[in-house]
Amino acid sequence: MPEGRLDRYPGYDVLRKRDTPSWNDVTRRVIDARLAISDRPRFLSETDWATLQAICERVVPQPPDRPAIPVAALVDDKLCRDDGDGYRNAKLPRLREAWQRGLRAIDAEARVAHGTGFVALDGDAQDALLRAAKQGDLRHPAWEGMPSDVFFDARLLRDIVHAYYSHPTAWSEIGFGGPASPRGYVRMDFDRRDRWEAVEAKGGDEAEVRRRNQRVG
Amino acid sequence: MDSAPNGERVGPGSGAAGLPLPERPARIDSDRSRDARRSAIAVAGLGIAALGLLAIVGRALQRSSPSTAMAGKRLSSSGARPEAEDAPDEERRPTVAAARRLNRAAGILAFSVLADSGLEHYRGAFKNRAMFVAPVVSALTLAISAHGLADARPIVHRLRHVVYALAGLTGLGGTALHVYNIRKRPGGFSWLNLFYGAPLGAPGAIALAGLLGYAGEWVRGIPAGPGADLFGLPAGRMLAGLTSGGLLAVTGEVWLLHFRGAFQNPAMFAPVILPPASAILLANAAVRAKGMDRWLTRRALRATALLGFAGTGFHAYGISRQMGGWRNWSQNILSGPPLPAPPSFTGLALAGLAALGLMEDHPDA
Amino acid sequence: MSDDPQQTPRAKDGRAPDVFHEGGWIPMREYRETDEVDFVLVGTGAGGGTLACRLAEAGFSVVALDAGPYWRPLEDFASDEVEQNKLYWTDERICDGENPLQLGSNNSGKSVGGSTVHFAMVSLRFRPEWFKARSLLGYGADWPLDWREMWHYYREVEQALKIAGPVTYPWGPKRPRYPYRPHEVNAAGLVLAKGAEALGIDWVPTPLATLSAPRGNSPPCVYRGFCTIGCSTNAKQSALITWIPRAIRAGAEIRDLAMVGRVETDRDGGRVTGVRYQREGRWRFQRARNVVVAGYAIETPRLLLNSATDRWPDGLANSSGLVGKNLMVQANQAVWGTMDEEIRWYKGPPSLALTEHWNYEDDGKDFFGGYAIMSQGPLPALWASTQAIDRDLWGEALIQEMQKYNHQVGLKIVGEMLPQERNRVTLADETDQYGLPIARVTYSWCDNDHRLIDHALRSMTQAMQAVGARELWEQRNDTCHLNGTARMGDDPRSSVVDADCRSWDIPNLWICDGSVFPTVGGVNPSLTIQAIACRTGDRIKALAARGEL
Repeated sequence: MPEGRLDRYPGYDVLRKRDTPSWNDVTRRVIDARLAISDRPRFLSETDWATLQAICERVVPQPPDRPAIPVAALVDDKLCRDDGDGYRNAKLPRLREAWQRGLRAIDAEARVAHGTGFVALDGDAQDALLRAAKQGDLRHPAWEGMPSDVFFDARLLRDIVHAYYSHPTAWSEIGFGGPASPRGYVRMDFDRRDRWEAVEAKGGDEAEVRRRNQRVG
Repeated sequence: MDSAPNGERVGPGSGAAGLPLPERPARIDSDRSRDARRSAIAVAGLGIAALGLLAIVGRALQRSSPSTAMAGKRLSSSGARPEAEDAPDEERRPTVAAARRLNRAAGILAFSVLADSGLEHYRGAFKNRAMFVAPVVSALTLAISAHGLADARPIVHRLRHVVYALAGLTGLGGTALHVYNIRKRPGGFSWLNLFYGAPLGAPGAIALAGLLGYAGEWVRGIPAGPGADLFGLPAGRMLAGLTSGGLLAVTGEVWLLHFRGAFQNPAMFAPVILPPASAILLANAAVRAKGMDRWLTRRALRATALLGFAGTGFHAYGISRQMGGWRNWSQNILSGPPLPAPPSFTGLALAGLAALGLMEDHPDA
Repeated sequence: MSDDPQQTPRAKDGRAPDVFHEGGWIPMREYRETDEVDFVLVGTGAGGGTLACRLAEAGFSVVALDAGPYWRPLEDFASDEVEQNKLYWTDERICDGENPLQLGSNNSGKSVGGSTVHFAMVSLRFRPEWFKARSLLGYGADWPLDWREMWHYYREVEQALKIAGPVTYPWGPKRPRYPYRPHEVNAAGLVLAKGAEALGIDWVPTPLATLSAPRGNSPPCVYRGFCTIGCSTNAKQSALITWIPRAIRAGAEIRDLAMVGRVETDRDGGRVTGVRYQREGRWRFQRARNVVVAGYAIETPRLLLNSATDRWPDGLANSSGLVGKNLMVQANQAVWGTMDEEIRWYKGPPSLALTEHWNYEDDGKDFFGGYAIMSQGPLPALWASTQAIDRDLWGEALIQEMQKYNHQVGLKIVGEMLPQERNRVTLADETDQYGLPIARVTYSWCDNDHRLIDHALRSMTQAMQAVGARELWEQRNDTCHLNGTARMGDDPRSSVVDADCRSWDIPNLWICDGSVFPTVGGVNPSLTIQAIACRTGDRIKALAARGEL
């Protein structure tokens, strides 16, 4: 899948900073708990879960050469905790209801258009269906009046992307410094990194950068 | 602080010190060798610093008791140096004694600069190779000062002379670079850049170390007896004037940084009150008629010397008040109050005492 | 967990959490519910927290209630965007209108200390003319306050919070020097600085309510960059660690996890008698001689509307019909781009540099009001979802774009939006976990808002181009802050409270938070809310001395 993806921060693992002054106790507790979330549903039904997993693979595709971030499980965990945003567009039902309805509607749209569930579609067909949702073009009765575009932006994209980028693996991928307390940062200027920050590869220097990133801590 | 120019990489040849800029991939390479170089320099610097400091402190301890007694006896202006009674004749020569005290002063200043510039330029990630110059030259200055302190001969030492001159030039060049750095930051000469750009006054400390050591070498070569002069001016008075100016300059730098810290602790006022007071007293001593009572000046200078060390203690306390305290040393050593900066006052105050001594040993000067 | 501050109140049994020490406590005076205290305050943020302190220090008996938990930042705040969702008002609210708002993490806190626990600390004064926007500038409404008096109270708040700001300020009338020096500006802020210089306009290091030098138990900022999800350094001078400990020392009682459902009135509705609130699973009543509502621009009108009686069928203090109306957010548009240099905007407070040029320069404007431009530094999850939603980036395109995280920069405005009666808070049919009707928040931009936004996007694009940022894109759909809904004024027919924040209808009912703003200006509101609270404290003291309470 994501072949030729540029790894700008080879060898950088934000978790290597776990036992440095960059992490405080509460952060360690919280991140440990997140890493312990297993890749199976606790809130969603098996069918909805399968659809969600397939959607996650389209929205935040992952490389095969590292342990995958359990994105669907992180979204399911949010639903399990019913951890809402504190507001919702009037056109949407509440968090859990919106997700259940949206997943079923997307699956129903797939069955109408292709005669098979969303999970069984190939990637391009899945993308096309998601794009139609984004455009607000999907009107299957299973949406029960919920506009597909509002669901797509306010719930689907937001929650999936949020889940992916709340995982340390994603932080390492983008060279984010990760948790920082009590230790923050010193070097603030252009092109500066503290020695507890990721080294960026500029092309052709990956081996050396990898070695340096393994010392970051 | 961060004295590497940002615009440095906009085009080749625009480096601050006119250094050619490597291509992008090569920069990583240079990053790597920079790592190695950093470590080598750090180790070498620390080694030299440790040796130098040991020598200086050892020497100081050896004479600490007699030299405290010195003050009271100075008024007698007898040529004999109480602390060197059992030393060979030439070591009793007041010019040599003054020179060695200047070596000691220069050494302490150099130590302060070595540690401070090392830390601050590390914080600036040694982005510009010129940033290695200050720690290297101050390490050399420290070593050469230790050598001078141990040397009782009344002969000008060529190498020391050269190194001290180099330190002086480094201070000038560093000031120019720091001015350049501030000017090209957004805002130019603004308060913000004076606070956080390359510190304007810092290179002055190594220039002072160089000047004091350089003057020390000249003083060392002056024949004993009345009439010691330097470039046609009375040596003691001239040194006193120089030291007084240096104290005021360092006070300016301290004021700026303590103002940046909003004088949040009343103790932060001490180094902007006591050193300039000593500087004024010293300047006064330099221009007033000979034979005047200088006990107050001497007391003030001695208090300033102690303040230098106390300052490091206060700064250590300041670091403990940063988030995470000493446990978070890897950040707080860099972002907290600079530990090695305050002893600059000690170095200058000792130079002031040396100047006073010289003036009294050569009362007609 | 018995020590879960979200489940079990911490401020009780004669003690309150010591925010400066893990597991620490400070003694706190307690009042009985049958005691008729001088003041009960609903909300402990920039308005309520500040006023609680000022009233307690003036010798009044004070009980301040907050629906949120009482945090000890050192032990409770993680460096994690998901976990820190606990700081926000996450009870349900419904948003509609042409431009439905984003609330929650965007502008709504639920903690002792209110939104100041997660605010971005930007502490700016209003432009003096804004206090007379209608008469001097021709839009919005006049405030019943004089800017010179506000200048005095701004000074007081700046001192109380030890604001770290520039040594000299280029815009507006002369102001005294900020108590602390400015922070070092990060690369993201230097991009703003260079952009401003390229455009020939002034910029400054942002005046911030986070310390640049130690103060008491607070260490200075460590530039960890998680400011808007809670400061675990205690460098941020939030109400939680400034006004509230002071209030408790002066004898105030704080009750956390205390959700007020209703302000009660006496039989003929002429005076309020106290508040009904839920704490530890049970409804309670606190008697009081005066009630101050300080729940911010959504919870304040919601509470007043939920407190309707036969005498006041449209809600308390609402004879003008204006409670809930004239809700104002601020325009929060951005231009983002990518630089060759590493920026790493996650370091340091998000807005370390700003320009108020377009707040003070009226030439060349085709709109009313102004805006400030600030540098930005969003954390990964927020940034990724912004890009996903506003740029329609997902799949491999999003993953690739996020690889540029450390090179991305952005400028964002805080821009004035005009008051409109159609932008309002009403009650929805749904109820929350306490059984109280939830708020429906309706918002639509007006033409002037659109013109201001267009102007701002143009200036920011110019600045970004001038510094060599590439791949520029505009984020149009964002707003910030909440104000209005209980405006102050000189006339009971066109305002809810008078200049002293006292409701026109009920003399012992007060409103003291961002709700009272008649206009919002182009700066973050927290400093002005606190200045108004300080003034209200002084006014109440003066009124009490004259027997006019």
